[in-house]
Amino acid sequence: MRLTEYEKELLDGKHGEAVQMAMRVLCDLGEYYGAEEFVEIVACHDDSTVYFGEAQVAFAEHLAALGAQFAVPTSTNACALDMERWSRQRHDATVLSATRRIEASHLKMGAIPSWTCAPYQTGFSPFFGAQVAFAESNVIAFMNSVVGARTNRYAGPLELLCGIAGRAPYFGLHKTENRYAQGLVVLDETLPDNLFDDPSMFNYVAYAYGKIVGDRVWALQGLPKNKITMDNLKQFSATAASSGGIALFHLIGITPEAQTLDMAFGGKLPQETVVLGRRELEDAAASLCCVTGAGPIDLVSLGCPHFSYAELQTLEQLFAGRRVHPQTAAWVFTNRASYAQAESSGLLDRIKALGVQVFSDGCLMEYPTAAWGTRSIMTNSGKFATYCFNKVGIHPVFGNLHDCVETAVSGQAVQRGLPWND
Amino acid sequence: MERLIVPCQNVVAASKRLELVYSNDSFSFVGGVNIQTGDISDYRHANYQQNITGRAFAFPFGRGSSGAGLVLMEMLRLGTAPGAILNIHTDPVVLTGPLICKHFYGQILPVVNLSAEDYAKLQGAKEVELFADRAELAIYK
Repeated sequence: MRLTEYEKELLDGKHGEAVQMAMRVLCDLGEYYGAEEFVEIVACHDDSTVYFGEAQVAFAEHLAALGAQFAVPTSTNACALDMERWSRQRHDATVLSATRRIEASHLKMGAIPSWTCAPYQTGFSPFFGAQVAFAESNVIAFMNSVVGARTNRYAGPLELLCGIAGRAPYFGLHKTENRYAQGLVVLDETLPDNLFDDPSMFNYVAYAYGKIVGDRVWALQGLPKNKITMDNLKQFSATAASSGGIALFHLIGITPEAQTLDMAFGGKLPQETVVLGRRELEDAAASLCCVTGAGPIDLVSLGCPHFSYAELQTLEQLFAGRRVHPQTAAWVFTNRASYAQAESSGLLDRIKALGVQVFSDGCLMEYPTAAWGTRSIMTNSGKFATYCFNKVGIHPVFGNLHDCVETAVSGQAVQRGLPWND
Repeated sequence: MERLIVPCQNVVAASKRLELVYSNDSFSFVGGVNIQTGDISDYRHANYQQNITGRAFAFPFGRGSSGAGLVLMEMLRLGTAPGAILNIHTDPVVLTGPLICKHFYGQILPVVNLSAEDYAKLQGAKEVELFADRAELAIYK
């Protein structure tokens, strides 16, 4: 790779051991991907935060002990638990202590304690075209696709090394020519727009899109622009990144690099076009929810990715004053900023009075099933539904937020049926 | 055993002969594998319940949540990591673990890339042999 004088100094160890080792890894990575140079970054999103095991904690402490400092503003992703309310979650104290060690070492390196997997909804969003190094699959997909910032799929703890070095190897989605769509998924035109009044449509379409596209850069045509919200796009990003390896998707007429077909494809024609219709949606629905029939639900699990303030408002409206069933728990995860805003506005107290448990910082995927004796879960998250069995050991019921609330109130799984089957 | 030599790219090089676990499905280390045992825990995956510890694990490319690097680092620490990773192309999400282990801890988890055509030749094979000093892979059927 072609290095600047400063980069040579970093690699030679003139600026410390931590950044030297970081540069060695990044140079290897760059060589593998054929990068000719580095690109300076303006932000980092640190996903080395959910406790996986001692190797991760030891590595962060190793970096911090070597004197590593983030060279750019670095937000932290969700961690394993709510650092304040972990005991109420029945998390093991060992997970808290590991998380506190992660917190200490990352903050020592200069990280901003945002602790959220939806940083783009809480003030940590870069500008269009910004070069960044982000980890966490939904954050990567959202930032690339919806914001138009530029990141590869950095994995914890690779993004830490980019953040410490202040740069990333210049390849992949950092470069304009790799951001154009290669193929096109067309939503079956016979599917009426009003199907998207049900927000779970964004999960079904995203799941099917991810299955078709895999880890390529493609575009999707046919999503109705007037049904799009930030929260729908958040779900779309999270679900598409779970069913496929989606790091960048283009929604024609919606996302910034795809205002027209021509823009999305860089003036070329799609190499391949695939129609996404009822059959693909049926398959997606079957993959997201393999549990059929009603029955008691022990846990309604919301906030994957973390709820926005707007979603907390919708949640309150859907409850319409009714309370969570005594045999059922309703958990919601949000970010610290929205938690604080809801606290000061009174919304938090009103939601809690309905019997809903609101948490910040943590991750639904880390739900301690054994500590609660939980046998059944319902969620509105396509990402959580994809990983729930593998992480938590339970096949969840999937439904939209409305159905989740009805379930929480009645204690029995409520599913209105698939939107295209009316 | 029938021996077949195919060209490859040694992304992280080592010399080893290993049993093969072959898959045609993309793979996510997060939620896809039991870190403590090395068993594939994704019930949707074709290799569900197979063990990858110490074996060459072939999957065409990575997908899903980006915690794969941390999972691989922890598997290396616990001794449950695969003996090698064989891909058509290796996502940075997967490559992170082996690269950090190499530069920060001096532990080698070899990563090998094959063309799609040569990758398909792995199907049905029992073992593979990696060579640190040359860009080829031996496949034993």
